[in-house]
Amino acid sequence: MNAEEIAAYIAPLRPEYAEARSLILPALKFAQTEKGHLTSEDIAAVGEATGFSAAYVESVATFYDRLYLKPVGKRVVSVCITLSCMLRGSDELLEHMCHREGLPHDGGTTEDGEITIQEVQCLGYCDRAPCVQVDAEETQGPVSLEDADRLLDDLRVTPRPERLWR
Amino acid sequence: MPQLNVIYRQREAAGPLTDLSDYRRAGGYDALRKALTEMDRDEVVYACVRSGLRGRGGAGFPMGRKASVIPKDSALPAYVVCNADESEPGTFKDRELMELNPFQLLEGITIAGYAIGAVRGYIYIRGEYEHQARVLDSAIAQARAAGYLGTAVDGSGFAFDITLYRGAGAYICGEETALLESLEGKRGQPRLKPPFPAVAGLYASPTLINNVETLSALPPILDRGPDWYAEMGTEKSTGTKVFSISGHVMKPGNYEIVMHDTTLRELVYDIAGGFRPGRDFAAAWVGGSSVNVLGPEALDTPLDYEALAAAGSSLGSAGCIVMDDSGSIVRATLRLAHFYRHESCGKCSPCREGTLWLERILQRIVDGEGRMEDLELIESLAGRIGGRVLCALADTGILPIVSAVRRFRDDFVRAIEQGGEPRPEPMMEVPAVG
Amino acid sequence: MADYAPVDLTAEGQVEFELNGRRVTAPAGTMLVDAAFAHGVEVPIFCYEPRLGAPIGACRMCLVEVEGMRGLQTACSTPVQPDMVVRTNSEVAKDGQDGVLEFLLENHPLDCPVCDKGGECPLQDRTFRFGPGTTRFVETKRHFPKPLDLSSLITLDRERCIHCYRCVRFSQDVAEDGDLVMENRGAGQEIGTNTGDQYEGRFTGNIIDLCPVGALTSIPYRFVARPWDITNTPSVCGHDATGTNVELTGREGRIGRVTSRPEPNYDVEEGWLSDLSRFAHTGNDGPGRLRQAVIRDAGRARDVSLEEAVDAAALVLRHGGRTGILLGPTATVEEGFLAQELAATALPGAIVARLGIPGDGLEALRSLPTADLSAIDGADLVVIVGGDPPNQQPIVELRVRKARRNGARIVTLGARPHALEPLGTATRALPGELAGALRGLDLAGAERAVVLWDEADLAAEPDAAAALAEGIAALGARQIELGADVNGAGLRALGIPATGLLEAAHGGGLDVLVTIKADPLAAPGASDWSWALGRLPARIAIESHATALTDSATVALPAATHYETEGVYVAMNGRAQRLRPGAPPPEGAAPGWEILVALLHRLGAPPAERTAAAVFARAAGSRPALAGLDYDAIGVLGAHIGAPAPVWPNGHNGPRAAAGAGLPLVTTTRIFGNADAHRAEGLAGVRTGADLTLNPEEAARIGLSDGGRARVRSPHGETDLPVRVDAAHPAGAAYVATGVPGAGVERLLPADRGPVRVEIGLA
Repeated sequence: MNAEEIAAYIAPLRPEYAEARSLILPALKFAQTEKGHLTSEDIAAVGEATGFSAAYVESVATFYDRLYLKPVGKRVVSVCITLSCMLRGSDELLEHMCHREGLPHDGGTTEDGEITIQEVQCLGYCDRAPCVQVDAEETQGPVSLEDADRLLDDLRVTPRPERLWR
Repeated sequence: MPQLNVIYRQREAAGPLTDLSDYRRAGGYDALRKALTEMDRDEVVYACVRSGLRGRGGAGFPMGRKASVIPKDSALPAYVVCNADESEPGTFKDRELMELNPFQLLEGITIAGYAIGAVRGYIYIRGEYEHQARVLDSAIAQARAAGYLGTAVDGSGFAFDITLYRGAGAYICGEETALLESLEGKRGQPRLKPPFPAVAGLYASPTLINNVETLSALPPILDRGPDWYAEMGTEKSTGTKVFSISGHVMKPGNYEIVMHDTTLRELVYDIAGGFRPGRDFAAAWVGGSSVNVLGPEALDTPLDYEALAAAGSSLGSAGCIVMDDSGSIVRATLRLAHFYRHESCGKCSPCREGTLWLERILQRIVDGEGRMEDLELIESLAGRIGGRVLCALADTGILPIVSAVRRFRDDFVRAIEQGGEPRPEPMMEVPAVG
Repeated sequence: MADYAPVDLTAEGQVEFELNGRRVTAPAGTMLVDAAFAHGVEVPIFCYEPRLGAPIGACRMCLVEVEGMRGLQTACSTPVQPDMVVRTNSEVAKDGQDGVLEFLLENHPLDCPVCDKGGECPLQDRTFRFGPGTTRFVETKRHFPKPLDLSSLITLDRERCIHCYRCVRFSQDVAEDGDLVMENRGAGQEIGTNTGDQYEGRFTGNIIDLCPVGALTSIPYRFVARPWDITNTPSVCGHDATGTNVELTGREGRIGRVTSRPEPNYDVEEGWLSDLSRFAHTGNDGPGRLRQAVIRDAGRARDVSLEEAVDAAALVLRHGGRTGILLGPTATVEEGFLAQELAATALPGAIVARLGIPGDGLEALRSLPTADLSAIDGADLVVIVGGDPPNQQPIVELRVRKARRNGARIVTLGARPHALEPLGTATRALPGELAGALRGLDLAGAERAVVLWDEADLAAEPDAAAALAEGIAALGARQIELGADVNGAGLRALGIPATGLLEAAHGGGLDVLVTIKADPLAAPGASDWSWALGRLPARIAIESHATALTDSATVALPAATHYETEGVYVAMNGRAQRLRPGAPPPEGAAPGWEILVALLHRLGAPPAERTAAAVFARAAGSRPALAGLDYDAIGVLGAHIGAPAPVWPNGHNGPRAAAGAGLPLVTTTRIFGNADAHRAEGLAGVRTGADLTLNPEEAARIGLSDGGRARVRSPHGETDLPVRVDAAHPAGAAYVATGVPGAGVERLLPADRGPVRVEIGLA
């Protein structure tokens, strides 16, 4: 994404913060919606749009789990594995999904680049364990193995959203 | 053990209160009007103090005391920051509140802003709650359109607005100073305290930081008076508290109960439906995961700050994770160690290196490469973390680990002696929601 | 150790508290680590570094027990309180320190035997003194492919990093370049730059000094030496006029390394070095180094011993006729004084001059109260008139940045765009416009103003110098000269002028020229010097590195560099400091002052002094500006020379007229674009060349484009230069980078560095 587009997105937000630095995270999240991850060009563009060095922006970006500095699948499926979900079969769910997609047991990106499956920490849907989140969409649960199959099938046929909020 | 929907007004209304008119019909924004028209700033702060309301994020610091130390003579503007980074394992009470009753939070933030003379409120919501963030976006827009936010809040001389700020995936940002760093556009790493946020918080300005549930308690407190609130519970644990309960229970969900009125046993068995046939209680992490784990001997502990502390644990975020006797405490402990290692921000050495080390040891034990001296090593390392780290993450993150090794020592010894800890069958039954 | 902040135990407002059972005091607000250190108690630290700003409490190494407080406290962030009871060595405090070391060593490779830091490593040292004997960590350590070069100067070993944040805080909060950062989270954290970028800048080497482990090491120093076969000597940098204090590491007769001193000079460099100060020594023994005295007779060169060369020089001087002695900017006070002695005793009528800026019109400015560089930190207003401190007096940049962080207003004014302009309000003033622009500045309201002014720019515009002097006096401000020459102030203090010699040579009034560390053919006025020197029958060059002059001198005498000699340099703001040799000069070379003493002996005027200290003492006794100084008085940290008597600005009604036609020429300097940098092997990766920089509008007018070549001509000479087109440079002037060896830019300039215009065409 280019710096102008990012600048246009953050300009209306600027008056809400005493310091422009606060715009880095919103800018990064927005920049990511284009490709689903952040390239070094995106990082540089965020730096340019916010007035900070690319190195600084990169250091901020690498701190957060939901900002991806390497390519990921068109859709990212996050499987919560923290205690409540573990007690409800999240490990079995994750393994099932990974096995189905031909991935290592703890996740990865499918060969066709369609889907990334990853383990994540508590998603705050422990009452619906085991739970799964696609990109930053509403978390689903409880997800049975059959649900998971359906979910993965659906993802392959649903068109990619225009903007990938993750 | 009665349930009471003070915070969860949407349950009283039997439907989501995501439309401002519905919220108004349910009595919403009466408290704000009362504050703006009948009370001065100090009276609002005093009501908070009198109510005995304690921070619901986990630390339990008296909310009124926090508000009363905000300096009034600061050259910098004051802010209210709402901690909506709910990421503590087993905790999902704020999620439901923001999703179904967002205006009560906005009203609470606005009241807090009035009380401390703030110019703006920020809600720092975890990035994974994008769905809830959109509900809040809409609620803020509605509140603004109706004049509940803006240059003259509800027609008064008070100017206040609220900004929603989305995180991007980091548990540590629930730590208040890390949250402020993140909100300032930095890596979310905790700051040294002092200075405390009340004195020098967001942009070095006086800042009141409170959890979603804490701020949402302000409208009912003003509506019905602080004494009504303080009369519930005990002297030090007043009001109602939403417990999130999850794990092996049959009816996981959020339940708002009056402090002290309910025991852990009642919560687990009566409210949350108990266990599958043939299964029984084994362990519970009552206040989120960052607390000492409790065994069956604690079942009759009333749920309040003092009683849980006396039982050797703490109320924390009231995210109660329950495990029945099918579970493995060794594996559960490893899973939590994994969590803290993953979420350590890396700033201070004992946490960064200590959480990594603890996870490695527990992994060895589970993998069958444990040594008996590892149990002492875990205790020793935890002792070198506790009270010596920069923030609460590892300070409390060691609690479930050390307490498990102590309370359930036999399980660990068995895992070491028998060459590892097999993975138990998980509970695959689909729970009935709510 | 530089790690602890200095504590004044005699200052007002001491707080009394108990430290390991003793009643002690420290000023209120002092952090416990510093207070303890001042009382001889070392609390171990890694992340604490007061020069980087407020403590961050990250490493937790400094855990101590404070009665009444839960757990252990970090002494780096706990200020002393009345009657607090502190134990730094109790069992629980020791367990805290032990524990942190155990955690830090958990993933540290312990490859000390092959680590460049081994033997001078705080982690190694503190492990030995405070740490556990054994490790309980049986797992595999964190692994990174190693090592990773951050630049051509610095290498990063991520496995050794203990995440103390010192280097990244330096980049973010001191140099403010923002280019070195911490990436990732938790145990996966690592130091890095923006992917694909190098960490390059003017101050990068400081992160090597800051690193408390062997994670960041110097590439030029890689495997050069081990700490047990080196000697460390405090000295002063000879590459700019700031008087930056350095430590020279000598090994096997060579300068192996230059670092900040363990105890920095807080009034000067505060322990920060520019990369030029740090790495230029790698040219000290370079291929151009003179190691052999040479006599040339009728065009035949003959290698001789230094003794023979001194004899030959004496012979030339005795019979050569009218003599001129020219001192270069790195000549010491002692060398300048002995040159004057030669003229006063053995060679009556000899002219002594320095290569430099005459400075007529600067008298009033120089007579105003000056200040140490540390005064910049506490200023509420910093005004920078002319110059380009980041490239010419680099450490000034760090002081100005610090002043801004402390809340000072920064006002800049001048012809060159430079790195400090974005810190405040910047006014562009092309040559001849300074006085007018100065009058337009609004400086009202400042109580602690410091004005930095550029020697060359103000000398070129005496009307501006007069206006500035009046302005400074009216503001009650202090002034700091941004000097062009390393020891210009020292040679001026002796009364050595920058004029007279070239004029005499031009007029045919000179027969022999003695140059002392002076290369007029590479200095401004090179064309004029070249013409004048061609007429001289004899030349004697006392020089450390080969130049066009030494290659053709009648007698060439190899001299020690500033790394290898005793002597005194006076920094641009009048701070006199001592050079101490970090290594002996090469065999066949000698310190300049010794060569001059030998010459005095051969010429029948033997001085009584046999040491540099004695020479300096006599100079101080006879020159009012140096009154009261001797080596003892200067000590380790230096002393100010006397201020000149007040001079009122006298009427200068306008700028000096620029000779020539075309665009006014603005000289620029790039930190790695001078002879020192070009000689230094270590700086090969960052050194820059010469060019002509033009505003796009000017370039278009002339028909030049970026990357093309231009012919640049002044009344003094001409040269070809590559063209850089840059919109940040205003139209109406031609910007030419000076100092680059062989580029010929100096041929365009007058010897007094006064105003000149250039005509530009296609090359």
